[in-house]
Amino acid sequence: MNSVIQALLIGSRATIANVRANVQTFLISVMTIAISIGILGLFLIIFFNLNGFLASWNQQVQLIVYLQDDISRAQKGNLEDLFKTNSRVQSTEEVTKDQAWQEFRLSQAEKSGLELDLGFNPLPGSYRVRFKMSDNRLLHISKFAGKIQSEPGVESVEYGKSWVSRFEKFMVFCRVFLMATGALLSFGLILIISNTIRLSIYSRQDEIELMLLIGATPQFVKIPFLLEGMLQGLSGSLLSLGLMEIIYYYLRNEFQTSIESIARGMGFQFIPEPFLLILVGSSVLIGLVASYISTYQYMQVLNRR
Amino acid sequence: MIQLFNVIKKYGSGSPALDDISLRIEKGEFVFLTGPSGAGKTTILKILSGWEHFEEGQVLVQGINVGKLNAGNMHTLRRSIGVIFQDYKLLANKTAFENVAFAQEVTNRNRKTIKFKTWEALKNVGLTSKKDSFPPQLSGGEQQRVAIARAMVNAPPIILADEPTGNLDQEISLEILKLLEELNRNGATIVFATHSQDILKLGNHRVVVLNRGKVISS
Repeated sequence: MNSVIQALLIGSRATIANVRANVQTFLISVMTIAISIGILGLFLIIFFNLNGFLASWNQQVQLIVYLQDDISRAQKGNLEDLFKTNSRVQSTEEVTKDQAWQEFRLSQAEKSGLELDLGFNPLPGSYRVRFKMSDNRLLHISKFAGKIQSEPGVESVEYGKSWVSRFEKFMVFCRVFLMATGALLSFGLILIISNTIRLSIYSRQDEIELMLLIGATPQFVKIPFLLEGMLQGLSGSLLSLGLMEIIYYYLRNEFQTSIESIARGMGFQFIPEPFLLILVGSSVLIGLVASYISTYQYMQVLNRR
Repeated sequence: MIQLFNVIKKYGSGSPALDDISLRIEKGEFVFLTGPSGAGKTTILKILSGWEHFEEGQVLVQGINVGKLNAGNMHTLRRSIGVIFQDYKLLANKTAFENVAFAQEVTNRNRKTIKFKTWEALKNVGLTSKKDSFPPQLSGGEQQRVAIARAMVNAPPIILADEPTGNLDQEISLEILKLLEELNRNGATIVFATHSQDILKLGNHRVVVLNRGKVISS
């Protein structure tokens, strides 16, 4: 145990020496990581806010069941029974033909200042069905709508199916785009970090050869470079996320009220904590993988002599 | 004990650097390897320290079959060998003390032992007063003494010296030879590669003469 701690301590000292010897290259690498993580973080922010937006809209979706003008009392009773027996239904509200016409006339009068009088009422009566909050709320609404639609006395049903599915498709595209961008940036980062570590290795080539000649294990030689790669990943991601958080708080203070008024109470959110940890962890892991590739390749060259 | 059995080493497609060499060096022996440039002196030392592969034959060092070692366990061989080079191979950014201590750090010794052993090694080569000097601040002879201290600090049973006096004048060379002879008296096996006839005359030891990768006399 002590020897492991000592090896890590010596490795850390060597890492600091490496960084000092190649401070410019180290900083360039850290900045590149920061920019890449920044791009990924920005996409994540957009994604989570759109997701939040979708979730908040989803919860506002209600089912409107339009009734045929000649619907009988028994058919109405049948529909009301169906609403009552569905455990996911929170409340129902009946809107008669007259109420619908009154509401429509009022809203038109507010908009145009004109009183509508057609001499007849073209609007159907309806039920407004609200559902309880749940994970698969939209799916339940869609299923229930399908069932209700074929009931006698029902003209049609409406719950914003088309825009919800379009928005959901867009979110799937966002997810794929995020993953593809993440993979591409990770690959780029591995190349950049492994090149930085390679420079670091070459600048200490004599020392490495000497270490091996005087009995160092390959692990002992590799540790400082692996730590350097991890340090680059950690510094880059922390720098990037730190800057993003500052910008986020600034934007939130400036625009929160406007966003709330547009998106009806929805807050502008930063990357959730678990994803922050995943970003930092992935960045450190990328640093580790990249430096491992460089040291492994270098050791292979030495061993091929 | 060191044994080479019919060792062949080639660099590229040219004539072999070592051509069917067999050699036996007993425990506690002091042996000079000599011969002109390209004779194979350095190649033998590199093979003994596991730094070069060889195509054919077998090499045993302290009972370890060198050809069977891989990168993962090569350190077991190297920890039983101290190496001294013509160009000293000291780390310029470390002091004399740190250079000697470095050889123990890589073997994961504790700090107290490292301090004590480093001081002892520097005392043995008469350089305690220069312990805080960096290599460029030391003369060639002093740098080679630091290198000897580094090679001996882990008390290896074998010391391989590759032209350790090649860059030094005769007086300093004699000093280095005496230091190595003292290590030999303390039990270390010394393999000293040199092409200097003066050194060969000064040290009364077995001489292995090489030429074009072959042992001419032993």
